[in-house]
Amino acid sequence: MAPEPNLAARSPSRWGAQEWVAVAIFVAALAVPYATEDLLVHSIVNRVLIGAMAAFSVFIMLRMDLLSFATPAFMALGGYSAVLLAMNGVTEVLLIVPASFIVPALVALPLGALVLRLRGVYFVLVTFVLTEILQLIVFLTPGLTGGSDGLAGFPAPTLLGRDLSDAQSVLALAAAMALLAVVITAALTAHFRQHFAAIEENEVLAESLGLVVWRYKAMGFVVAAGIAGMAGFALGNMLLTVHPTSFGAQQAVDTIVYTIVGGRGSILGPVVGASLLVTAADFLGNQGQYAQGLFGLLLIFVTLVARGGITGAVVTLARRLRDARRTPDAPAAAASEAAARGGA
Amino acid sequence: MEATATGAAVAGVEELRVEGLTKRFGGLRVLEGISFTLAPGDILGVIGPNGAGKTTLINVITGRTPPSGGRILLGGHDITGEPTHTVSRRGVVRSFQQTNTFKSASVRENVSRALRFSGTAGAEGWARVAPLLEAFGLASRLDEQSDKLPYGLQKMLGLTLAYAADPKVLLLDEPAAGLERSERTRVDEFVHHVRARGCSVLIVEHDMDLVRRLCPRIIVLDAGVVLAEGPPAEVLSRKDVIDAYVGADAAEDEAA
Amino acid sequence: MHEFLTAGIIGISLGAQYALLALGFTLIFGILGVINFAHGGFYALGGYVAYAAVSQFGLPFPLAVLAAVIVTAALGALYERFLIERLVDDHLATMMLTLGLYLVISTGLLAVFGPQSPEFSFPVKGTLRAGTLYLPLENLVVLAVCAAAIGGLWLLIYRTDFGRALRALADDRKVAMTQGMRPGLLFPLAFGLATGLAGLTGALVTPILALSPSAGDPVLVTSFLTVILGGLGSIAGAVVAAIIVGFVEAYASVYLGGSAGALILFVTVLVILLARPTGLFGREIRGA
Repeated sequence: MAPEPNLAARSPSRWGAQEWVAVAIFVAALAVPYATEDLLVHSIVNRVLIGAMAAFSVFIMLRMDLLSFATPAFMALGGYSAVLLAMNGVTEVLLIVPASFIVPALVALPLGALVLRLRGVYFVLVTFVLTEILQLIVFLTPGLTGGSDGLAGFPAPTLLGRDLSDAQSVLALAAAMALLAVVITAALTAHFRQHFAAIEENEVLAESLGLVVWRYKAMGFVVAAGIAGMAGFALGNMLLTVHPTSFGAQQAVDTIVYTIVGGRGSILGPVVGASLLVTAADFLGNQGQYAQGLFGLLLIFVTLVARGGITGAVVTLARRLRDARRTPDAPAAAASEAAARGGA
Repeated sequence: MEATATGAAVAGVEELRVEGLTKRFGGLRVLEGISFTLAPGDILGVIGPNGAGKTTLINVITGRTPPSGGRILLGGHDITGEPTHTVSRRGVVRSFQQTNTFKSASVRENVSRALRFSGTAGAEGWARVAPLLEAFGLASRLDEQSDKLPYGLQKMLGLTLAYAADPKVLLLDEPAAGLERSERTRVDEFVHHVRARGCSVLIVEHDMDLVRRLCPRIIVLDAGVVLAEGPPAEVLSRKDVIDAYVGADAAEDEAA
Repeated sequence: MHEFLTAGIIGISLGAQYALLALGFTLIFGILGVINFAHGGFYALGGYVAYAAVSQFGLPFPLAVLAAVIVTAALGALYERFLIERLVDDHLATMMLTLGLYLVISTGLLAVFGPQSPEFSFPVKGTLRAGTLYLPLENLVVLAVCAAAIGGLWLLIYRTDFGRALRALADDRKVAMTQGMRPGLLFPLAFGLATGLAGLTGALVTPILALSPSAGDPVLVTSFLTVILGGLGSIAGAVVAAIIVGFVEAYASVYLGGSAGALILFVTVLVILLARPTGLFGREIRGA
């Protein structure tokens, strides 16, 4: 008996509502620098954009159940590359933004070949070590990277000759890069949604069915590195300096917290996580030094109670409400079924 | 294209030959000098006490772990040590004893992935799998989450996924484990179905009745070595085979 | 020559401290399969408890150290029993739980004690003169206490029923459980033992080095390094690797400069992780 036409799954690589909402958010962010001149707003929004980009990097790897602590290392590669180009006469944004993506991506290729053979805790440890190593290399090469002083006083980026050093342009550039980052992330994770999901859930089964698993891991790793690189350049552009202390273990932890608390299952997760936590951190202690405590509590809470993070909880809640409304005489059964299906 | 009694005349099917396969983990000898042939259309049973190396044998053939020695040939071509996805694409696909589906995905999604990852997506792939889905009652439950299915159905879904990957050789790892007595004939159905379509099958099993029913030939593994090979009636009445099982049972009783 | 030998003494002393830390870390990983991101936090907490005991409550130093051990061990055991235990088989989840705990502990210490290093000094001062060598007494005392602790731990693991149970659980939890061992009781105890060791090291060492809310950061890194070198889950490996790391650090800081020495260690660890993740002595950890 021939299968009915709807037996085949509909195209899985189309963007869903979440992807479009995420892109819309970053398109809207482009307007912020021109809508207000409030420097506090600029500062928060800029840091949220950078945090979100870094969080996308973590998100891509988490889609394959790989927790990466290497985000700051790739941020450093991107940031330092862009700054070094600027210091050597190349300030054209249309060149240095791609460079900030490509340099870490190129490094990630051979690195991935070595590192992606590992899984679980070993992968975590290796990526942690990578970040430490890169920081040490920066400290040990003052001639190139400025060592423990970092690099400052580099020429501002330019767009087709036009100087971008004013506050509006700095934020607009960050927003443009973030928009690029979300589009790339959405394209990758949507197009390979089933492949990543299969690897995340049961890598062994996926491979035994013929999936060339390492290829997808490599793709994710390289793209994640590139996106982190752009975040590194945006950070350097905002701070007017690239400094090794910006690219260490604490930043790795922060970006992981944004993604996990925001929700590792949805592209909106990193956005929500970065927006909420970067903003909240400002209000905790006059320099935000108590923010880490909040992050810790949230991490524990999310892990115990709401594995899908904020976005996961929202999705579960929405499903429960929808099912409860559909079958008013059996809300308990429907709710538990929805919870079972909607969990993380 | 008819399957003959020996299956030898079926076009497009290849012979799997294992020669002197050896696997050691550190000092532990798990497989030693294993040799056998799986001709097109064969159904070969692999039995043996627990720890005899049966699952390791499948792991080594499918590239999940490299052998310490020996060769694996498919249709004369040396596939020893090739990665799992390559072996799978060549047509040697295995099923798993446990965790044999994508648990949080629907039945439809599971099949869709199996078809996509093996490169046989589209209507043609679905057409190939449809009869099995019908036979096992999965066709009416396509949108159910796979780990919400009854255990027996999950196992049959796992077998179906392996077949969805367009195999020429199927290595089944304890397909009947955990199934109710009444459900076990589904495995028979599955094996007959795939063999009729040109697959040869290797079944690792503990269920002797099933092995007797389905396998014209079996090999007995004990402590990593082939103890015996031949028709089940003959092999299972051999003293050394019985001793191997009794010895294994006694050891388990002592440890318990 | 003096410099060489003095660096050697410091190396051994560091090695002993790192060994205690690494032992705790590898115990937790070997038995529970958990990466304890909070290890450095327990170290810092131990230091602060000892400091508070001495400066606020006027306790003598040995009692203050004891207090530190009790507090850190109890906190670790309770955290394991009530939080980690629920998710102990999910490696990502337990990492998040211990990471979260670390953030909470270090922020808590910051909030209570402030960011500055408090006045906290070792009660024993002076140097021992051996021939032409001047050996700082505080290092020797720490070395002695650490060595005693390591010895005690070895006895515990290899000569008691408790230790046997822990090793059985590390090897194969399911089999051990069918033989009647109760992880519900043993896991919190093992975790508490490990965190108590970290607290002990903190209480002993921070008066010599420095006490601050972020004192735990390098501790975690060093524990990672040492345990990976020696092999995750291997006790002998942890001790041997710790001594190696102690020596490398001592000599590198004298002859090479801190960053270079650290880089050598990290690159070595990276190579090991890639080539032989189980380290010099370690074993495959189930499900890791």
